[in-house]
Amino acid sequence: MSQSATALRQADPSGKEARICDPISLEIIRGAIAAAQSEMEALLERTAISAFIREKKDFYTALFDADGIMAVGSMVPIFGDMTSPVFETFPPDEMKPGDLYWYNDCYGSRGAVSHSNDQVLLAPVFKDGKRCAFVMSWAHFADIGGLRPGSISPDATEIYQEGIIIPVTKLADQGKVNEATLSIFHRNSRFPEQSNGDMRALMASVDLGVKRVGEILERFGADTVADAFSQLLDRTRKLVRSKLADTFDYGTHAFTDAIDGDGHGNGPFKIRFSLTREKGPDGEDRFLFDASESDDQAPGPVNYLMNRGVPGMALGLYYLGGDPSQVCNAGGPNALDDVRLREGSLLLPRFPAPLGMRGLTTMRVISAINGLLNVAGGGAPAANSAYVISIMRGNFRAENGNLERFLLADGIGVGYGARPDADGIDAVYFVAQENYPVEFLELGYPVRLRTYGVVPDSGGAGANRGGCGIVREYEILAEDAVLAVRIDSVKNPPWGIDGGMSGGTGKAIVNPGTDRERMLAPLSDGNKLVRGDILRIETGGGGGHGHPFDRPLAKVLEDVLGGYVSPEAARTLYGAEIVGSRIDEVATKRLRAQRPATSRFHRKDYVDALD
Amino acid sequence: MHSTDQNLSIAVDIGGTFTDISLLDRVSGNVWRAKTPSVPSDPSEAFLDGIRLALADAGAPASALQQVLHGTTVATNMILEDKGARTALVTTRGFRHVLDIGRQDIPRKANLYTWVKPQRPVPASRILEIDERIAPGGAVERELDEASVELAADAIAQMDVEAVAVCLLHAFANPAHERRVAEILREKLPELAITTSVDVLPVVREYERSLTTVLNATVMPGVTTYVGRLEKRLEDEAVSAPLLLMQSNGGVAGAAAIRQAPALTALSGPAAGVVGAKSVAARCGIEDIITVDIGGTSADICLIKGGHIGLTQHGKVGEWPLPLPMVDMVTIGAGGGSIAAVADGTLSVGPRSAGARPGPAAYGYGGTEATVTDAHVVLGHLPSKLLGGRMALDVDASRRIIADKVAGPLGLSIEEAARGILAIVDNHMVGAVRVVSVERGHDPRRFTLMPFGGAGPLHGCALAELLGISQVMIAPAPGVLCADGLLAADLKAEFSRTLPRAGAIDGEIARSVFAELEAQASDWFDIEGVPGEKRRLRRVALLRYHGQGGELAIEWVDGSSALEKAFAEEHQALYGFTLESAVELVTLRVEAAGLTASAPTGTVSEDSTVEPYDKVRVHLPAGEADVPLVDRAGLGSGATFTGPMILTQLDTTTFVAPGWSGTVDPSGALILSLKENISR
Repeated sequence: MSQSATALRQADPSGKEARICDPISLEIIRGAIAAAQSEMEALLERTAISAFIREKKDFYTALFDADGIMAVGSMVPIFGDMTSPVFETFPPDEMKPGDLYWYNDCYGSRGAVSHSNDQVLLAPVFKDGKRCAFVMSWAHFADIGGLRPGSISPDATEIYQEGIIIPVTKLADQGKVNEATLSIFHRNSRFPEQSNGDMRALMASVDLGVKRVGEILERFGADTVADAFSQLLDRTRKLVRSKLADTFDYGTHAFTDAIDGDGHGNGPFKIRFSLTREKGPDGEDRFLFDASESDDQAPGPVNYLMNRGVPGMALGLYYLGGDPSQVCNAGGPNALDDVRLREGSLLLPRFPAPLGMRGLTTMRVISAINGLLNVAGGGAPAANSAYVISIMRGNFRAENGNLERFLLADGIGVGYGARPDADGIDAVYFVAQENYPVEFLELGYPVRLRTYGVVPDSGGAGANRGGCGIVREYEILAEDAVLAVRIDSVKNPPWGIDGGMSGGTGKAIVNPGTDRERMLAPLSDGNKLVRGDILRIETGGGGGHGHPFDRPLAKVLEDVLGGYVSPEAARTLYGAEIVGSRIDEVATKRLRAQRPATSRFHRKDYVDALD
Repeated sequence: MHSTDQNLSIAVDIGGTFTDISLLDRVSGNVWRAKTPSVPSDPSEAFLDGIRLALADAGAPASALQQVLHGTTVATNMILEDKGARTALVTTRGFRHVLDIGRQDIPRKANLYTWVKPQRPVPASRILEIDERIAPGGAVERELDEASVELAADAIAQMDVEAVAVCLLHAFANPAHERRVAEILREKLPELAITTSVDVLPVVREYERSLTTVLNATVMPGVTTYVGRLEKRLEDEAVSAPLLLMQSNGGVAGAAAIRQAPALTALSGPAAGVVGAKSVAARCGIEDIITVDIGGTSADICLIKGGHIGLTQHGKVGEWPLPLPMVDMVTIGAGGGSIAAVADGTLSVGPRSAGARPGPAAYGYGGTEATVTDAHVVLGHLPSKLLGGRMALDVDASRRIIADKVAGPLGLSIEEAARGILAIVDNHMVGAVRVVSVERGHDPRRFTLMPFGGAGPLHGCALAELLGISQVMIAPAPGVLCADGLLAADLKAEFSRTLPRAGAIDGEIARSVFAELEAQASDWFDIEGVPGEKRRLRRVALLRYHGQGGELAIEWVDGSSALEKAFAEEHQALYGFTLESAVELVTLRVEAAGLTASAPTGTVSEDSTVEPYDKVRVHLPAGEADVPLVDRAGLGSGATFTGPMILTQLDTTTFVAPGWSGTVDPSGALILSLKENISR
């Protein structure tokens, strides 16, 4: 466990009793950092060139203290320790104002980034010659070379096929940019103009962050800001530890979930998590997270090089809930005393295993942590479906008659798991990641959309319904195209809990309802499309929560009238007879009298435990 | 008496609780003010009552009016309280769930474990699909199937709706189908209000356009009926002056424009208040202010830095993005009429409001819910008579209702319950102030707090203390600041055209598009009756680098290289870099303004005496005390005083808390300061 020492670095525990930063200043510093983040994000959104960043908004920002501990992150459970990989090559004490560091090296950063498309820029912030903070911007670049346009492909078998790898590099030395490095990087992209524009935007956003954080330091003083960071970290860590103790009794709690496969004929792959609470020698509780029992790594690119900070980030985010005064930061990871991974497993693969399609595994990891919370007695959501991506590359006839190349990476939302107090979210992708609007898509790409809506009955039935998935049907206007598609949770649909049923499954079909109909493998590449083909992608839904017969009839009716639930499912799953736009009270009463028995979990069938 | 040397403009601001009137003679600068209770069942009643009152004060006939200016919260209240018309949406087949899917994101600042997608103003069960298709660029790919529209109309007829929104894919590039659908719907459903997306927000991106169109539809029946009624009343009263309405962007426009796009008034009243606040503060030389406009139903919070009111195209009203140009502010459902209720042992205040009728129990109109105003009455913050004695407060009714609804269920004393209600509502407002200040990187402690609206000056000291603000400014007439803002606002309209395809700057095309847009602007000036010397036009180009998603608005200059240079300079200044990529022209815009004369500029004479006319028993946090009541009208420039004190005037009541002292500025504004070393 050589990595845990750095991955779980703690904020200085020397614990100054007298706080330098008063509560009002703390709130203002917190607000000013949030404002700086919003500004950095707005700049990226407005100036980036690729649709992946400016429309889909696949980017995040964070702020770290003088030692590189994340003080204010984004609201996503995917970041771990972003800074120590930089420090190992470039000692922080030798850094200068105007320096800028860059990497996308997944193995070199131990999963701080988990596929090579994500570029991380990190810059130190100084006040009066003293290093006081770091600012990070992070964005997914549309193409960085590799086997196929878009750089990620289900066909990849090693990371070398997933684009150029940038080990930790000093991109700017005291303000002087290393243009040679950039030109090598851009030369490796199939879309160098996008790569260049996106990198300029990313660099500008870090510059802006450095400036804004500098202003905060100027206004409040370095000591006050450092104390504010430490208070924010302490606050989150304490909250997470106290809530962990509420959820997890002493002993070991375990949960198993699975992804379907790796697109190369292997699978399913099990994700096995456990959390152990024990009394340490000092009388303090110890919380140990163990993922080492998870299955071996996959030949295909579904391996998720999980940073050790990730489980704590997810647990932290869950426990912070909707409280706007709390901050998602390293206090989550720091709340765990150890995180165990096993080299050679799906979650700690050996170099150079491919990683490009790890998105589906990250979604299953989040659901498995939900499961772990639920078996321990918490009220976490049911399982989410894994968001879907389709990558279409090919050639289209431009107005001038020439064939031109295009790349369309279209993220498609899914249904999220139902919660004890609310339905699962219908038709969402992830935090902050937006769709390509239909009108935008059609103006920029050789496709016409025929339908964009929710898939009826895809949300797992329950007193609280799982979220519904999405249907997106494209007519291909390109002369030719090759399609990669990433759909998971088909063999292992997202589980429901406490009587709630599992969510629906996704699929991709070409020319549905014709004699040329063909079903695509859910995780596959090399699917050929030609002009006039119809591609229909349906995505899965989230698991339900609670017995479906306990769903209020008014909600069932609204679901049916709105196209979320079919009248047949209303009858068979919810015990509600709907005729036209009304509930047949008598028939419904009769149906609901025949209440089926349920068990704790449901995945296709009711079971007491999943394995 | 009325003389030909007068140029009378009258401004009427109708809030949920009170209607404020300011009558200004733009020649002499004289102002007459009036205030009258709003009549929610027919707001035009109070509108005319107020005009009559002010005209009588000025001794002028209705026919002497040159302008009738009006700000209204009708639209914003309908959106915030989800009380708009029941609406259906007609859209292209296959895209029924666009509105629900939204941008398929969990918001960047939200927590994925707890976030609940907000319920759309129109549920999927009232969204109808029709057969048609416009291609990107505007070509008709599938002709409109009118039979499918008629089927949709038949279904809508069964839905018990008052309004229909029409938003079809790519309609901004070719409005023909939307216009025809609207025609058929008007024919088949003549009693319903019909809105098309191209008349509200003709821009790319179907979700935002659908939502804006739907919101426009939900407020249209209410606003149209209302504007029609106002015009009828004015006609009956022999007022021939044009009716001008405040828009969310801080400018006014004629009733015709507002009928078509009532969503433009979503922030009408609040925007007027901010314009008024800015002009009043400027007279005291104060440029950095946080305004808190507290009315009966809602509070609007805005930050003005360096005398500049920020505008946004990324604004929200309640939960909803509304990408129409608007003053950058935050609105919350907290005001004097906000209802305090206990459920499961927890006290909540707002966003439900008792409005003006029945209003707070203290008003004696049969109010059966405990409100924020009742809490003030119980604690003694309000004198027993309001509106210069025309309205008495029923203190016993307030005590009874707070005892029944709050104190009893929670096992508190009546005063403790009242204080709890105020603490909750103050805290709520502080949260909104944080959004416009700290969350945008401004330290509120460096700003002057300017509470206004009928209920604002009651909360000023408490809010300032919670925020660490040490200076509070109370305008001379804080209850009618919105009305004053109307008098200070220019007529404004924008005319824009998004080019079918973004591309290189072509001077010839631009000139012809500008010519068309300026012809539209000229027609608009004619309709609004703006004389030649008051007309102002500004040509703007929206430019971006090829591939970018956002544009920068650059003032037009002839010559593509000069324009590209201006764009690059702006890009460098805003974002810190430029690119070698091609610069694309996306949209051309003409901004038209009709200048109006200046706002009221009264002063008060010098007089340092502060003579209480009575005293009142107030429940202060430290215990009960007799607090002096002072008539604000009697205060002259240079007068100083210390809290606790209650200052009364026609349009509002100011509570000066213990620990605060005040002075009167020559403009008549009060400047309150928190004394040092106060421990609270």
